[in-house]
Amino acid sequence: MSPLLSVQGVTKRFGGLVAVADVSFDIAPGELVGLIGPNGSGKTTLLNIMSGHLSGDQGRILLDGEPCSGLKPQGLARRGLMRMFQLTRIFPRMNVLDNLLVGGRALGLAADEAKTRANALLEELQIAHVGHLDAGQLSGGQMKLLEFGCCFMRTPRLALLDEPFAAIHPTMKEIMSRFIRARHAEGQTFVLVSHDMPVIVELCPRSICMNAGRVLSDGATSQVLAAPAVIEAYLGGAAA
Amino acid sequence: MSGDVRLRREFIATALLLVLLALVPLVTRDVYWLGVLVVSAYFAILASSWNLLAGFTGQFSLAPAAFAMIGAYGAALSAAYYNVPPIVGLIIGTGVAGLIGLVLGRIVMRLRGPYLALTTLSFAEIARLVASNSINITRGDLGLPLEPWFNDRVIWFYVFFGALTFVICGLYLLLRSKAGLFLEAIRDDEIAAARSGVRIVFWKTAAFAISSAAAGFAGALYAYFASLVTPELGLVQQTGLVVSMTVIGGMGSLIGPVVGAFLVYVTSEWLRDVGGWQLVIFAALVIMFARLFRTGLWGLVTTALAPRRRAAGRPA
Amino acid sequence: MLTGALAADLAVNGLVTGLFYGLMAIGLALIFGVLRIVNFAHGEFYMVGAYAYTIVAARLGVPLVLALPTAFLFGAALGWVVERTLMRPLYANIGSWGLMRDEYAVIVTFALSLLLVNFVDKAIGPYAFRAPALISASRVVVGPALMSGQKVAAALVTLAVLALIAFFLRFSYWGRAVRAVSQNRLGASLAGIDATAVSSLVFSLAGGLAALAGALLSPIINASPDVGAFPAIKSYVIVVLGGMGSIPGAFIASLLLGIVESFGAVLVSYQYRDTFGLILLILFLLFRPQGLFGERGREV
Ligand SMILES: Nc1ncnc2c1ncn2[C@@H]1O[C@H](COP(=O)(O)OP(=O)(O)OP(=O)(O)O)[C@@H](O)[C@H]1O
Ligand SMILES: [Mg+2]
Repeated sequence: MSPLLSVQGVTKRFGGLVAVADVSFDIAPGELVGLIGPNGSGKTTLLNIMSGHLSGDQGRILLDGEPCSGLKPQGLARRGLMRMFQLTRIFPRMNVLDNLLVGGRALGLAADEAKTRANALLEELQIAHVGHLDAGQLSGGQMKLLEFGCCFMRTPRLALLDEPFAAIHPTMKEIMSRFIRARHAEGQTFVLVSHDMPVIVELCPRSICMNAGRVLSDGATSQVLAAPAVIEAYLGGAAA
Repeated sequence: MSGDVRLRREFIATALLLVLLALVPLVTRDVYWLGVLVVSAYFAILASSWNLLAGFTGQFSLAPAAFAMIGAYGAALSAAYYNVPPIVGLIIGTGVAGLIGLVLGRIVMRLRGPYLALTTLSFAEIARLVASNSINITRGDLGLPLEPWFNDRVIWFYVFFGALTFVICGLYLLLRSKAGLFLEAIRDDEIAAARSGVRIVFWKTAAFAISSAAAGFAGALYAYFASLVTPELGLVQQTGLVVSMTVIGGMGSLIGPVVGAFLVYVTSEWLRDVGGWQLVIFAALVIMFARLFRTGLWGLVTTALAPRRRAAGRPA
Repeated sequence: MLTGALAADLAVNGLVTGLFYGLMAIGLALIFGVLRIVNFAHGEFYMVGAYAYTIVAARLGVPLVLALPTAFLFGAALGWVVERTLMRPLYANIGSWGLMRDEYAVIVTFALSLLLVNFVDKAIGPYAFRAPALISASRVVVGPALMSGQKVAAALVTLAVLALIAFFLRFSYWGRAVRAVSQNRLGASLAGIDATAVSSLVFSLAGGLAALAGALLSPIINASPDVGAFPAIKSYVIVVLGGMGSIPGAFIASLLLGIVESFGAVLVSYQYRDTFGLILLILFLLFRPQGLFGERGREV
């Protein structure tokens, strides 16, 4: 099968610092890929390049075989690439329902359709009871769930999730991972950045581990976690 | 409460207010007070159009008075040099302001907060300086005279109320559509809006152009009413008034700017007799509202009438 | 035509004007550096200073050497009050502001400007006040240029004050604290610097400097309620050119703007001389928002 997303030799420098160094990998449709690595290893920067928030210095990215570097975030969103940010981004002065409607309407759903979809998502993510509140009044975890929901107003072709589980209560984490598993079973493609190894092991058949901007290891999650380079760079002696 | 419901409630309240005010000529035909209401309606259009930009889209422009001035000169110059009838002058004034707004809006796309405020303020000052220094075209500070359109104050009163109603209905329809959702999303977080697929450039520019066109429309209409156009229409102090009215009435609500404009302008005419301290009082009120009641008078009213009180905004 | 003599005259006059701009703009840059806001009432501190000096010197007969510091103190006190009452919420509870922060700052300072202008207009009157000059000589030769005695005296005082400020910011504890908070408010507070006190200090200093500028120029440009609008706009331009918040940048940009304007008025257009700076401001914010010397940071 031809890859849905193909990252080819992407490099990004900030001044002297090489945040992403010659990274290449392919993601096939329906894959759920974990992206792991120590703090500052370049995961968020790589996601920023994929989602059009930054432009890489070298290399290119193909979506469905077509180069998409140079497209703006909204252009990529319209092509089905959805992105959840590491630092939660929602619309704090709009209510929760409207937060969801924005994405649906922007991607072409009719008003009723968008509303039905939004209500279904609220139910599924178990935040329907706060649907009428302004999003800025939610708890940190609820905001994460809301942003998570925003990514699924229209089924994305590829969802890039940057640490969706950070600072989240186990119950909410369970809601999210159940959601991810269910969508994955239906063929949804994900890239999941997380520092939560048990969740990565449980959810992601494949993982990519980065360190200092480079891909250290890419393959089946169990193998990646067992690779000596990964253990040394990331997990240290404790996990060995 | 959904945004939809809130907007409809505000629209109904505005409509009631306008109907009430439209009855004034039945009570008094005093030329002076009708004139005061006409000017209030002028400011209500300006404040509502500015509110679309600042309150709903988060683009804090300091150029509304400049666009009113541009609209007024659009009408006055086309009348003076091409002798066009008022209705055409009105269209020209509105169109020119809208076009310049479109271009400026596209240019300042990326700027926010203090940067946008400074840029638009500079634009406003440049526009005013050009109008007052291009003496052989605009007669500078002497101003350009215009043939008045009507002479009857009551007619003017209804013309301005018609115009205000038109603008409010237009804004309501706009905000009720998906455009309203997108503009508010852009105001709250541009990056998140882009992530959701909202076409930022298009909507921000559109909001700027529409707001500018509405301000230009008000200015052009005012030009025919005052039958004289001077660069003073574009003074920063005029923008100060527009901002004050919006903040006092309630920024980010449909009705706030209208309430604010009438309240501020009518009372300031009242207070004129007590030595003209009105501007001092209003400036102090604006500071107080911004500091203590960020949702303005309308916000106070809705909070007072709300069935259950809700927790105030929580720290992010 | 531009002869050598005229050019030298223009250069000297431009530099002197630039010095005065500097006195205004540095305060604005300090405030932006520490609080990340533009004080739209900055010109009104200038106006207040002009009145304070005029009234104290001309009405109360205080000696001029004392009237100048009085104006400075008056501006500083006003700055302190404004910071305490209106700016404090901006960072006392920074989290709850979110988006409204920038808007609040613009609205409040804008309204403050309206308040002060109209207050003075009502309390003192709309007429222009003439202030006593430090030196009454109407023509003094400065190198290739001719200037009024007051302008020369004011320029000398300005130079001295600017040198003092530079020294203060560079070497004193509080000066270093100001620079630390400008770079990273949170980091500076964690290092034990009282960021709140720094904000008060900066606002007072900025108010004092603007008031001093008003006092020094009031014998040349008479005090009237709206006299601050013009220098305020100049300082916005300068702060943008110098890179929002940079003090050395603001100083260099002040001198540059003084020179650009004095040559532009002769070489390009006298009528539109006041628009040059504004056009520069727009161009810079669009194409080089970090100013002449600055750098940019991380967004997402
Ligand atoms: N805009 C920027 N300017 C300068 N340096 C940057 C910028 N963005 C990222 N960096 C640097 O690039 C490196 C990679 O950062 P990145 O945010 O991608 O790491 P990460 O893998 O997501 O880390 P974490 O797990 O902590 O989120 C870091 O050293 C960071 O300081
Ligand atoms: Mg990261």
